[in-house]
Amino acid sequence: MASGNTQSPSARAVVEGFKNGLSRQTVLSLGACVHCGMCNDSCHYYLATGDPQMTPAAKTDKVRKLYKRHVDWLGRVAPAWVGGATLRTDEDLQALQDVVYGSCTMCRRCTLSCPFGVDTALIMRTARGLLTAQGFAPEGVKVVSKDQWEIGNQMGVSKEDYLETLDWLQDELRGDVGDPEAMIPIDKEGAHVLFLVNPREIKYAPMSLLAAAKIFYAAGEDWTMPSVGWDNTNFGLFSGDNKLGAHMGKLAYDQARKLGIGKVVISECGHGFRATKWEAPNWAKEDLPFPMESFLETMVEYVNTGRLTLDPTANPRPVTYHDPCNLARSAGITEEPRFLLKRSCLDFREMTPNRQENFCCTGGGGAMSMSEYAQRRLQVARVKADQIRATGAESVATACHNCIDGLSDLIKHYELKVPVRNVCEYVADALVLPAPAIARDALIPTGLRGKRVLVIDDDPDTVVYLTTLFEDQGLDTVSAHNAAEGMTAARTAQPDLITLDISMPGRSGADVFAKLRSDEVLARIPVVIVTGAIDFRELMYRRNVPPPDGYVAKPIDPELLLMTLRKVLEVRHREGVGSGEGAAV
Amino acid sequence: MPIEVSRFTEVLMDQAQLVALAIMAAVYLLKIRWILNHAAASERTPARGDHGKAIRYSYATLAMPWELPSTRRHWFHYLEFAFFHIAVAVAILVTFVMPYWPRLLSGRDMVDLLQIVFAVGLLAAASRLTRRIGTPAMRAVSSPDDYFSLLMLGTWFAAAILAAPQASEPALIAFFGLTAFFLVYVPFSKISHYIYWPFIRYYTGKHFGHRGVYPAKSVPRHA
Repeated sequence: MASGNTQSPSARAVVEGFKNGLSRQTVLSLGACVHCGMCNDSCHYYLATGDPQMTPAAKTDKVRKLYKRHVDWLGRVAPAWVGGATLRTDEDLQALQDVVYGSCTMCRRCTLSCPFGVDTALIMRTARGLLTAQGFAPEGVKVVSKDQWEIGNQMGVSKEDYLETLDWLQDELRGDVGDPEAMIPIDKEGAHVLFLVNPREIKYAPMSLLAAAKIFYAAGEDWTMPSVGWDNTNFGLFSGDNKLGAHMGKLAYDQARKLGIGKVVISECGHGFRATKWEAPNWAKEDLPFPMESFLETMVEYVNTGRLTLDPTANPRPVTYHDPCNLARSAGITEEPRFLLKRSCLDFREMTPNRQENFCCTGGGGAMSMSEYAQRRLQVARVKADQIRATGAESVATACHNCIDGLSDLIKHYELKVPVRNVCEYVADALVLPAPAIARDALIPTGLRGKRVLVIDDDPDTVVYLTTLFEDQGLDTVSAHNAAEGMTAARTAQPDLITLDISMPGRSGADVFAKLRSDEVLARIPVVIVTGAIDFRELMYRRNVPPPDGYVAKPIDPELLLMTLRKVLEVRHREGVGSGEGAAV
Repeated sequence: MPIEVSRFTEVLMDQAQLVALAIMAAVYLLKIRWILNHAAASERTPARGDHGKAIRYSYATLAMPWELPSTRRHWFHYLEFAFFHIAVAVAILVTFVMPYWPRLLSGRDMVDLLQIVFAVGLLAAASRLTRRIGTPAMRAVSSPDDYFSLLMLGTWFAAAILAAPQASEPALIAFFGLTAFFLVYVPFSKISHYIYWPFIRYYTGKHFGHRGVYPAKSVPRHA
């Protein structure tokens, strides 16, 4: 804390760091802005709110004032004349945090609109880095960064869970393609492709990884996944922490070197691709001996070389594509997804604007982990919602897991009722494969039969729907209609799994979840959040208690829900599948 | 015909300008050196696109308003920008020509042309100032330097209109007095943005070219 002319130690450290750590590009972006206003309506925050403080220039000025006060020649003499000011208190730092983390997704749309090319994201990231170093960052960013430092992935997935999940996915793959020899190889030395994924694919959304495995299988690829260094995401990009950025890059690069692979392929994750391919080599100061590409590029190559045959009638409904900022504006990948979707879907519709001019999903820059700013995120998502609605599409494809989460939230909020999936999922649906030689049931006996599920939901229709769906799969069900009933049932019925609604009258599902996780006995029961609310992301990222084992959004996709249940129950109940025995090592 | 001017005005139009120009050049040299003293970030991953092409494209966007979403959408602002800066360039040229080759600018048609250019520049400055004062989003980002720079440039255009016929010594004093002031003030003010422009467009082109984003791919046009 500081008052009067004194400066808090944190504020002093931020100011000193700012004065001494600017790159040439940052200095140019700070110095060149003439406040012409041409960037104003490039920003979804400003377009949706009309708030003059939400223009890119106004937001960067919150950082630029430091430049004007401490670096600019005239500003050092007459700061007020040029809009210069310093940071004095921790409250000032908190206010700056709210701007650089809470009102900019670093999407760079304004940069491509600026007649100078002022790189707002660069300015924001510079400020984020200085603030983060002093402990000023959203809680979710801190938690995830800590997990990346300590565990090596952003969702805190243990090596055992990771390997067991891959083992389970390998069974799913075998069941889907009807081939008991189909594999998800791990740590295969000399493989042509090393595949890196987003932990979301391991922890919560294995559909895209299963789709990728099917595509590798169909293409006859010699591929592998690493047992460590598999997380392609990088919160260093969001937090401005170059050391974390370098650390995450090195984890993957070291594994690629060790295995002697031909190339690194990065799954459909916008920031993961950007960070792993483009940014982390700079942070780690490494020139890498192997090429890196997006899975989108890999799939295009398979189609072009005849290794994949696609049947677009598998996806007959109208589909549109959302260009992730990190792919379109920071990595030049715009045509590959269109190439694939036009060959995998009968009715592909462009979103307007698109490619490098597309609007942000609102989940970029780490926004999905910042529950503090969730309401603002949904407010400004109106721009994106209008864009999607105007296409008339019945589903949305994208190539980024952050975008999937961001779009899912806004789709719920604005009641658009369209599912969002990765491009590879559409491609996998359209794969022309030989008819399965062996039926799925013969290959993978379901792990659901006989298990007991407790359904906690205040909506009677949902309870009936879920219990019927589960009982059809041979599950035993118990239900509860509010938090109190749910807690009692959890103790008395001893379920193998709980599906939990978040929005319930009285005590919320989040409270129930925290109570379950804090109870010595009940904490062992896996919980899958089934909700129409977005509050559950706080449970995933803040992690005051261990995060949920799965989540499924309402309206419920029954296939996805059952897959999530299978994953949670089957992976959890595998015995003897430890670190040495993953999938096909 | 240009009028005979006093010794004071002569000095103001010639030696004073040269001194002010020398100050400006010295400050700009220091500024460029200062910019270059900051280490430039570079890329280690091999390029996806063509640097040279992208850098040329980056510079060329200045004259291709259809390429940037902002100038495509706000074409009136682009025209305003163009006329404003053309007027600035012509006024600067006049300050060099008038003291040494006054007869080059003495024809009636030439004077009319210059006055039209300066008048359009003045209108553009007035429009920009009005927008800066009248629009909440513009007001929110404007510093005293932003207002002052526009106001002074507008005044300079007005003085240029009066000075163009070279028939009024007070007008010449106002025009060259303001010019000398600008030459000294500009390197410290926001007006010095043009010294940043070649650098930032270079790095913008290089960066986005390296990543394969520039030159921009064909995008369906939209408002």
